[in-house]
Amino acid sequence: MRALFYAENIVKNFGGVKALKSVNIDLREGEIHALVGENGAGKSTLIKIMSGVIQPDSGRLILEDEEIKLSTPRDAHERGIATLYQEPLIYKSLTVIENIFLGNEIKTKAGSIDWRAQQKKAKELFNMLEIDSSFIGEKMGNLSVGLQQLALIAKALNFNAKIFIFDEPTAILTEIEAKRLFNIIEKLRNQGKAILYISHRLEEIFEIADRVTVFRDGNDEGTYRMEEISREKIIELMAGRTLIESIERVKNITKKPILEVENLSTKYYRGVSFLLYGGEILGFSGLIGSGRSEVMQTLFGLIKPESGRILLDGKEVKITSPKVAMDLGIAYLPKDRASEGLFLRLNIRFNISIPLIETLKGKFMKINSLEEESLAKRYMDSLQIKAPSTLTILQNLSGGNQQKVLLGKWLSTNPRILILNEPTRGVDVGVKVEIHREIIKLAENGISIILVSSELPEIVKLCDRVIVMHEGSITGRFDTKEFIVPRNLLNAATGARMIQTQ
Amino acid sequence: MDRLLDIIAKNRNAFLSTLLGILFATFSFIVPHFFSLYNISNMTQYGVEIGLLAFAEAIIIISGGGGIDLSVGSLLSLSAMIIGVLVGRHGFNIWVATAVGLGVAAVGGAFNGILVSIAKIPPLLATLANMYIFSSLALLVSVEPQFGNPMPISKFPPDYFFIGQSTVLGIPFQVLFIFIPSFLILNYLIKSTTFGRYLYATGSNEKAARFSNVPVRKIRFMVYLIGGILVGIAAVIMTSRIASSRPDLGMGYELQAITIAVLGGINIFGGEGEPSGVLLSIGIIVVLYNGLQLAGVNAIWQMGTLGIVLVGSAVGNYFLSRRTMRILISRTKNLKEEDRQG
Amino acid sequence: MGKSIAVRLLRTRQFTVAIVLLILVIIFGVSTKNFLSTSNLKNVLLQVSTISIASIGMTMIIITAGIDVSAGSIVGVVAVIVGKSTLKGIPIPLILLIGIGVGALLGSLNGSIVGFIGVPPIIVTLGTMSFLRAMVYQLLGGRWIGSFPPFPASFRAFGIGEILGIPIPAWIMFTLAGVFAYYLRFRATGRYIYAIGNNPEAARVSGIPVKRVLFSVYTMAGILYGIAAVVVCARTGIVQTNTGAGFELAVIAATVLGGTNILGGEGSVVGSILGALLVAIIKNGMVLMNLPALTEGLVVGSIIIVSVFADILKAGRENHG
Repeated sequence: MRALFYAENIVKNFGGVKALKSVNIDLREGEIHALVGENGAGKSTLIKIMSGVIQPDSGRLILEDEEIKLSTPRDAHERGIATLYQEPLIYKSLTVIENIFLGNEIKTKAGSIDWRAQQKKAKELFNMLEIDSSFIGEKMGNLSVGLQQLALIAKALNFNAKIFIFDEPTAILTEIEAKRLFNIIEKLRNQGKAILYISHRLEEIFEIADRVTVFRDGNDEGTYRMEEISREKIIELMAGRTLIESIERVKNITKKPILEVENLSTKYYRGVSFLLYGGEILGFSGLIGSGRSEVMQTLFGLIKPESGRILLDGKEVKITSPKVAMDLGIAYLPKDRASEGLFLRLNIRFNISIPLIETLKGKFMKINSLEEESLAKRYMDSLQIKAPSTLTILQNLSGGNQQKVLLGKWLSTNPRILILNEPTRGVDVGVKVEIHREIIKLAENGISIILVSSELPEIVKLCDRVIVMHEGSITGRFDTKEFIVPRNLLNAATGARMIQTQ
Repeated sequence: MDRLLDIIAKNRNAFLSTLLGILFATFSFIVPHFFSLYNISNMTQYGVEIGLLAFAEAIIIISGGGGIDLSVGSLLSLSAMIIGVLVGRHGFNIWVATAVGLGVAAVGGAFNGILVSIAKIPPLLATLANMYIFSSLALLVSVEPQFGNPMPISKFPPDYFFIGQSTVLGIPFQVLFIFIPSFLILNYLIKSTTFGRYLYATGSNEKAARFSNVPVRKIRFMVYLIGGILVGIAAVIMTSRIASSRPDLGMGYELQAITIAVLGGINIFGGEGEPSGVLLSIGIIVVLYNGLQLAGVNAIWQMGTLGIVLVGSAVGNYFLSRRTMRILISRTKNLKEEDRQG
Repeated sequence: MGKSIAVRLLRTRQFTVAIVLLILVIIFGVSTKNFLSTSNLKNVLLQVSTISIASIGMTMIIITAGIDVSAGSIVGVVAVIVGKSTLKGIPIPLILLIGIGVGALLGSLNGSIVGFIGVPPIIVTLGTMSFLRAMVYQLLGGRWIGSFPPFPASFRAFGIGEILGIPIPAWIMFTLAGVFAYYLRFRATGRYIYAIGNNPEAARVSGIPVKRVLFSVYTMAGILYGIAAVVVCARTGIVQTNTGAGFELAVIAATVLGGTNILGGEGSVVGSILGALLVAIIKNGMVLMNLPALTEGLVVGSIIIVSVFADILKAGRENHG
């Protein structure tokens, strides 16, 4: 098999951060090449370079034995490189047909768009992929994400893409949709396309890939044929040696639960029941889209439960709004700090004080600014937020420091129950360790913590008990430390069967 | 010079102050009588009515979510017409009439607020619709029963005129006792109270605001209500100043008010901007108005000039920020120039 | 999953507006003597034509998620220049070119600042609105033109003449509507306008020249305002400082009534013209029914609220269903 595409010694720096230190990868016709690595390993930087969104500082891209420059996405497009992002780039109020042909219209001699020919071609493309073509006249926005992805694959086929880059395509798909996608990816391989497949889910990679390249901290740790590498080996390469360090903690867990959730159901999940004890760290594991976030949002009054009960200290409570939740001593750190968590255009003080601004209110709604400043200062110091002052605008902080502000914002409310949704997402290793220490400290002080995380090492390292969810149901409960190991959690997360260790 | 440009690019108020200073100096030099105590204090009254409307637009735009109000002009007409009709045709006490006029303006603002925050109609459309509705109501109210036609009203009692026509210590009454207090209250409300925090939170990130226990809907409603009250106050001042009311009194003011607010540094996408910037922007229009008038240039050019400044400052910001970027990039890139040759 | 074309058509705003129009025509036709008379229908067409022509441009701009409040001022400036040229005895074809050219120039001023510099459209057009209105005043010197001396009859024909019994402005309107409906549906660059309004990032990534398209949209809108200005000038026979003032909001109202989504990405020429017709017929019918003309704004405003609110309810149902 000859290599269709090489990326050689690619280096890319963002400011002082070395995103790619010198990586190599080669793609071959009729092959699925997987790319794995932890968050921040440099996978998305490479994708952006290959799709012409950014340019490398040095290194060469070679397509069909010719060195190429990809200065714009259009260049990549014209060279036959198609990138399918996790969140499909679509025109939602235009039809599927139109999404396929925009920028590549079929025209009549007079230069008009030939709608009939486009419709025919779209049907052909869908038939070729063996997908039901009845919805090609629908508006793209009315389709499921899975179907949108398929439509975009059809679009790439239409402009004769030779290289398909899939960026974590299954992260927000249902299982059935993912299976269908795999069939199609395999079909593309059989047609001789070169495929670069990025995923966090190792089991997928063993299912469909031919070779795998592992990235760690901007380096490539080598390329292997699937049959010559094991899952353990990949994990080792991804994480280095210090995969899971242990952390000491004085356990101070109450005998009686403080929170009891009974049979809670919404349209996002069904029959969720669990207990939370004082001073414990309860992990929620599972893949993105398993309903974990929605359970937490229900506990914080952002989603209304359809049935089930929530009991606090043995008494039933109705959490109808974030205000009620806060009054009950519940705090929720959302997972997407830019869109859900923080006000990035405003300063640290504003962000930390906003949830309890009512309590700082004096006469004539006046905010006691001295108290506000000391509140902000307290959390800036205790969380070691690195900024010139409490008036620094968040946009000028690093991701890690922003995350600490988010933590400070919710700690300021003095919660009894602290729900953390992906608290270390997109922060560097140093800050991650600091946040872990803070979580431990909080638990030692008797606060109950629910930790939602997609990173298994984090769950394993910190949690006393773990609940695993899959497609809206609880599929695993692990109550003792020896059962809380990645393999068990992964098994439950892929939803094979109910696993319980009580 | 570079430093100055940097400051101007980053700090809207510095830019506006500079502009105001330059305009003021220029007019003082070339226009006779411009730089006199009498003229300076007298000219401030021209900023009061449009200024109150600009404040209304400012808080509405800060609240985000496409917040804007196209109905302030016609609501002003309606409120003024109600006052006029109650006094001039039905013989009401002027203060009762004024209270009703203010109340109508508040209700009009609240109606905008309901459409935007509860019915979730995009603000541009909700207030466009209400612009038509309010102006239609103003016309209906103004119909003279004897002739069956809309008619202006000029029968205001003289004890009403002190609001818009008197001075205290040489300063126009409405500036000293209405405009300045309004600004101070608004500034206090926005900078020092929970309302202000909620306002900026809502405007800068609606989702994060909901996740932080901020009453987003209530804030979006409140800004229109406050906007309506400010419009009502402007209507009172205007009817008192010109001693009459017409059904088209506020026509065209909506876009002027938005222009002034945006020039004052209110981010059209919400969440950013300060009352002090809007105040400076009002200062600019006052100086322009007065200076151009004394120089014999038609008043229409005050808005014409403001339009140029509005677009010019946006374009200027673009080039200044590119310049800053270029400097930053060239500083870091010089080191790597050799690498990049290949 | 796939729904028939008929079902999809029934769901469109154009269809709803057309039905409402039909109902109104029936009501007015039955309850008044003159509504369906030829002269009255001509009158409606005449009234609707300028707003319709301009709304074609506004439709394209709003589809790109933009807005243009300078439309009325552009109409004003073009009307002055066209009017003055007419009085100087410049031949008619040249005058048309001047109208189109000045409109294009002013539109491209908006377009270059929005497209190439990236200033939000509302800010740009607020600025040009104020500036161009002052220009109108400056060019006229505070007077008005057209009454003495009057515009020549050959020019007035563009506003009041008829061909085959149909007013010339209506011919212009229908022709332009046809041209731009074709453009938006069948030309690649026409579709790019929708792409940009839907997802500018996706458009950029797939190589659509976003800046150039935005520039051309505002320029084309300028041309359409220019043509509308020629018609206004010829029909009313007078140009004054406030010619075109407030026009922009009437045009925006017609456009959004016709189903163009104020948030961008959706809209059609046919819809906007139906929207303009709806407003014109309401005005006309109310006059004929001896309803006070003053309530017209009340009706137009209410229709905007009801129709947009109905859309929102419908969208909500579809999302949850």
